[in-house]
Amino acid sequence: MNYLKEMLSSRELLANLTLREIRGKYKRTIFGQLWSLANPLALMLIYTIVFAFILRVEPEPGDPSGLDVFAVWLLCALLPWTFFANVVTSGANSLIANAGLIQKVSFSRIVLPLSLVGSSIYNWLFEMAVLLIVLTIIGGFVLPWLPLLVVIMFLLAVFAAGIALMLSIANVYFRDTQWFLGIILQMWLYLTPIIYPSSLITTQSEAHGGLLGTDVTIEFVYNLNPMVHFVEVFRNLLYDNRWPDLTEWLICAVWAVVSLFVGIIIFRSNEKKLAEAL
Amino acid sequence: MTDIAVRVDNVSKSFRMYHERNQTLKATIMRGRRSVHEDFWALDDVSFDVPAGSTFGLIGSNGSGKSTLLKCLANIYQPNKGKISHFGSMAAMLEVGSGFHSELSGRDNIYLNGSILGMSKKEVDRKYDEIVDFSGVEAFIDQPVKNYSSGMYVRLGFAVAINVDPDILVVDEVLAVGDADFQAKCMQKFEDFKTAGKTVILVTHDMGTVSKMCDNVAWLSHGKLLEVGAAEPTIKAYLDTVAPGASE
Repeated sequence: MNYLKEMLSSRELLANLTLREIRGKYKRTIFGQLWSLANPLALMLIYTIVFAFILRVEPEPGDPSGLDVFAVWLLCALLPWTFFANVVTSGANSLIANAGLIQKVSFSRIVLPLSLVGSSIYNWLFEMAVLLIVLTIIGGFVLPWLPLLVVIMFLLAVFAAGIALMLSIANVYFRDTQWFLGIILQMWLYLTPIIYPSSLITTQSEAHGGLLGTDVTIEFVYNLNPMVHFVEVFRNLLYDNRWPDLTEWLICAVWAVVSLFVGIIIFRSNEKKLAEAL
Repeated sequence: MTDIAVRVDNVSKSFRMYHERNQTLKATIMRGRRSVHEDFWALDDVSFDVPAGSTFGLIGSNGSGKSTLLKCLANIYQPNKGKISHFGSMAAMLEVGSGFHSELSGRDNIYLNGSILGMSKKEVDRKYDEIVDFSGVEAFIDQPVKNYSSGMYVRLGFAVAINVDPDILVVDEVLAVGDADFQAKCMQKFEDFKTAGKTVILVTHDMGTVSKMCDNVAWLSHGKLLEVGAAEPTIKAYLDTVAPGASE
């Protein structure tokens, strides 16, 4: 309870640090905020060429929206993913990057990783706004789903924040974390139905049946990945324009809460020792 | 004055000196959880009281534990044993300009630095003019601070920090900033502080400053408190050990 109060009292600091990140990030670049779009657009281009054109991945058209554009279908999952990856990577480095500050000033340390969550949210909102415009232009009907979209974006941000908190501490003690993270995120991207539809996994799973003579199927293992569920909800809302399964919502919510809870506990039990450990 | 501003109660602080530290995952896995270290006691059972409204100096040679004690006071390190209690709000100035973003303007940095040091936006709004005035960089306040000279940078940082206006101010060797003019301004500010009944705890190697500013002094050596008391005799005792006869 006290901790909550402390966090609440440093919300102004959190806002200021978030602004520092946002303002400092694209300063002195010609394209400014547009750079935030560059990375997802480049990825979109690459994946569209490789997976839609060369490898011929054909996702089902949006049901009931009827949309059938691979690049947009891809972006609906890719933007949440790049947001997640950004939060986790920058969050993991946040304490080390501010080592000088931690060793000289006493303040609530948790604002450091959280300010990066904040600045990533800002960029993400910008990207999502562009995506919404594109969706509307090609005939999607997303406006009624906006409130739900906000909810799932919030849940993903909470989930990512929890992971970032855990990794920021891990990175202080083991600098290997940041290098591991690069590899893990790459594998994680391919373990999530972002550039291919999850129906392909279902097909494979049915073909193979239970693994090693047990009832455990490929699909079951695959679904343990929380991002599978987040991506599903995002696509349902944005691309298909339909109400996602209630179970999917629940799974996302549980992952978000658990991640934040564990993240805060780990952070809290270590934050007093940071000045020495860095 | 019998009121106590800060009570340092049997404070000890040790650091681990690692001979082989598990700083990589590989090392941890290969060696298990064990890492080879011994404890180094940077502070060993230090106790004293700082009277409210006084200026208190910490002296001692390099490596005597002054800075460690200051960081414990500033709530950056946690003592292993003992307790530090303070009565009244406390702010520390261990470095000036902490958290400045070089691409942001002086104005933005005042707000940023102010909030890092624990001021609310309203407080900074209220003290903004005073801060800018004190720093003497009005003409450049909307320029990014990377274009500031190092003197301007430090002055701005100092101006923000000094305006936090706590009951107890903990200061590390940051007084030696700026030109003579600015130093005189700083000294005046500390005088004002004292007149306002605030407490200052400072670390410095400049015995001139100590004897000029401090009422009481604590002398640390190798993590132990050797003497604490009125400034003059303690400083004299300290200087006698450093260079016998030098204080005469």
